[in-house]
Amino acid sequence: MTTRSLGQFYPVSSPVHALDPRAKILAAAVFVAGLFLIDTTLGLLFVAAALTALVAVSRIPAGTFLRILRPVLFIVALTILIQVLFSREGLTLIEWGFLEVHSGGVRKGFFLALRILLLVSSAGLLTATTAPVALADGIEDLLSPLKRVRFPAHEVAMMMTIALRFIPTLGEEAEKIKGAQAARGADFSEGGPLRRARSLVPVLVPLTVGAFRRADELAEAMESRGYRGGEGRTRYRELRFRKGDALALAVTLLVLLVGILL
Amino acid sequence: MRLELRDVKYVYAPGTPFEVEALRGVSLAVEPGEVLGIVGGTGSGKSTLVQHMNLLLTPTSGEVLVDGVDARSLEKRELRRRVGLVFQFPESALFAPTVEEDVAFAPRQLGLDEEEVQERVRESLRALRAGDLAARSPFALSGGEKRRAAIAGVLAMKPEVLVLDEPTAGLDPATREELLALILDLREAGISVVLVSHDLDEVAEVADRLCALHEGRVRAMGTPAEVFYRDPTRAPATVRVASLLKESKPEIIGVPVRFEETLAALRTLPGV
Amino acid sequence: MENPGEGTRPGGSLAVYCERVSFSYPGSERPALSEVSLGLRRGEYVGVVGPNGGGKSTLVRLLNGLLRPDSGRVRVSGRDPATEPFEVRKRLGVLFQNPENGLVAPFVEDDVAFGLENLGVPRQEMRGRIANAIRAVGLEGYERREPSTLSGGEKQRVALAGLLAVEPEILVLDEPTSMLDVAGRREVLERLEALRAEKTILHVTHHLEELADADRILVLNGGELVAHETPERFFSDTNLLRENRLVLPFVPRLALELGLPPAKLRTPEELAGAILARTGSETRTG
Repeated sequence: MTTRSLGQFYPVSSPVHALDPRAKILAAAVFVAGLFLIDTTLGLLFVAAALTALVAVSRIPAGTFLRILRPVLFIVALTILIQVLFSREGLTLIEWGFLEVHSGGVRKGFFLALRILLLVSSAGLLTATTAPVALADGIEDLLSPLKRVRFPAHEVAMMMTIALRFIPTLGEEAEKIKGAQAARGADFSEGGPLRRARSLVPVLVPLTVGAFRRADELAEAMESRGYRGGEGRTRYRELRFRKGDALALAVTLLVLLVGILL
Repeated sequence: MRLELRDVKYVYAPGTPFEVEALRGVSLAVEPGEVLGIVGGTGSGKSTLVQHMNLLLTPTSGEVLVDGVDARSLEKRELRRRVGLVFQFPESALFAPTVEEDVAFAPRQLGLDEEEVQERVRESLRALRAGDLAARSPFALSGGEKRRAAIAGVLAMKPEVLVLDEPTAGLDPATREELLALILDLREAGISVVLVSHDLDEVAEVADRLCALHEGRVRAMGTPAEVFYRDPTRAPATVRVASLLKESKPEIIGVPVRFEETLAALRTLPGV
Repeated sequence: MENPGEGTRPGGSLAVYCERVSFSYPGSERPALSEVSLGLRRGEYVGVVGPNGGGKSTLVRLLNGLLRPDSGRVRVSGRDPATEPFEVRKRLGVLFQNPENGLVAPFVEDDVAFGLENLGVPRQEMRGRIANAIRAVGLEGYERREPSTLSGGEKQRVALAGLLAVEPEILVLDEPTSMLDVAGRREVLERLEALRAEKTILHVTHHLEELADADRILVLNGGELVAHETPERFFSDTNLLRENRLVLPFVPRLALELGLPPAKLRTPEELAGAILARTGSETRTG
């Protein structure tokens, strides 16, 4: 049984899914940087509209996408609350004892909340439309110029690929070990947090030991197949930049520019 | 005790794109004091089936009965004490600093007092001829030693039924034979044994009764002779040889399944 | 025991050559291998058996340079694996026991490509070699599958494809079927059988039936090479088998007990045929 739960990749085919991962990573990075240069709510709303259109083009169902945003809803709510309760800018809207709500607070709260949502959405859209392997390839490619300053770009990429390869395997192994310990009377759901943490020892210890053993065997296998680091290595998978990718980057920059100007 | 499964169906991941009907109505019973073999290829549902015996998995429909009582009504820990399940490659779950600590895990989970725990550890290790491993680290043992330590860990619960999922997987043939002999000894001590195996030759040597699974259903059930001679193409080597010879030489006595009895039957042929 | 030297170079024209090789793991009192000498000619199919801890896995790792001998000489196609591991690994591929931990990439075809990438093979050339290797193991259509979705036999075949893509002359198999079920074992052995004609093969195993066709069988026990025999003589030597904790599978064992040649009769059908022939001829004359 595969654990398809790796992050949020949603496998459908769309123009966004088909883009080169490097273009998407760069676009996301530029987008995040650009967000902080926008200082009007109108600008953010424009960018938000553009992003929503992009989500639609990527054929990811609204419900699925909103689920990606769920973890940050708490922070968003907190941000709004803090701004609303403690800002004293602008007109006074409500006065209730020592609590004051000002229009400036409401506006700022909304602005900050929107920015947080856009940040998370852009990252979410990236991971939803790019397969983990493609992401790893893209990152490796983008980092490779850093090899000149002795940054281990190849090794980092290799680690990512191996991690991706073994996550489902380790997941299954963890399930199996849990089952074996449950068969011996272990109960992972009883007691307070400390007790529960301790009950995980019979799962974590063998899982870790097993992972080290796997790493050993894998290293032997890799060496036996002629692996000796990144030197002299060619790559089977190729990433080719196409017109669509350049277009995507250009559109991103344009949208940001409009947002900044607004 | 008598462990029974009645028309058990199990569906993995229902309602998702990965939905799989692993068991499609399996009925069988484990009688007290017997060795029941469960055979079948990959995808037959063997491992899913045995996880129902201690309710690690609960049936999508159908019942699991312990001496006629619905297993779901029993306290989980109590059920898992009475039906001990040993997974395939059980040594991957060894975790304590010493073997005796690891074997003590299950008795301690049962809340027994320390003296009883130690007694159980000693007994289980002795039953698996692993007494000399007690103070050693489980991670420093050989494959066969680890296997025996892991089985001792489940045996320490003093189960009435011991379910072993491919207990000899990955072991060399000599160690395999030794382990099977130990398992038979357990049957002598009154424990019922359920042995899941893909190795027909091995299962033929030890099973009193057999259940053959195919794609989530019981394909055949009965004594090894009954099950194997009904379809000799899916049988251990001994049965295949004997049944081929029976066609031309019907004077071969009986329906031999085990090695020794097959050899004896073949020796009765003139000129052999 | 062995007189493997040919010519003036150590090992001469032998594919694999070991001369009085010894090795001890650090911290261990007993040597894992002690003065072992052996040689494989090109195209031979040689089996290696023996009890666990007897030195078989150590031998495998000395042959491909994962370990360096404490003394003695190892040559693979004339090269020393300890000083030229990269060159040796192009010519000698190892199929390990655990099908899970030999697969490095998230997809089948990427894993098969791994060895080629390490060798710096140009991308254009890779495609053809990968396709051939995948075909050689019968896994057409599996290119984009993830390893965690494969059965044990399929995983092992992917690993084999990865080796074949590099086109080595020599294959070393380190108990490749131990962790597989009956079906998986059959899948892998079928593919290996097809390779026997073109490769030199060293096959370490516990399953003696896999070696019925071998040219020779070597026995490693306690780090020493204690015997080397033809399969026929080996299967018939019950003392040798017992001393080395080896077990004959049922068909050859029945054959042996009935006075029939154990290495030639591998399947129940062959055994039944031989028995019928034996009894048939008796009743005809009697």
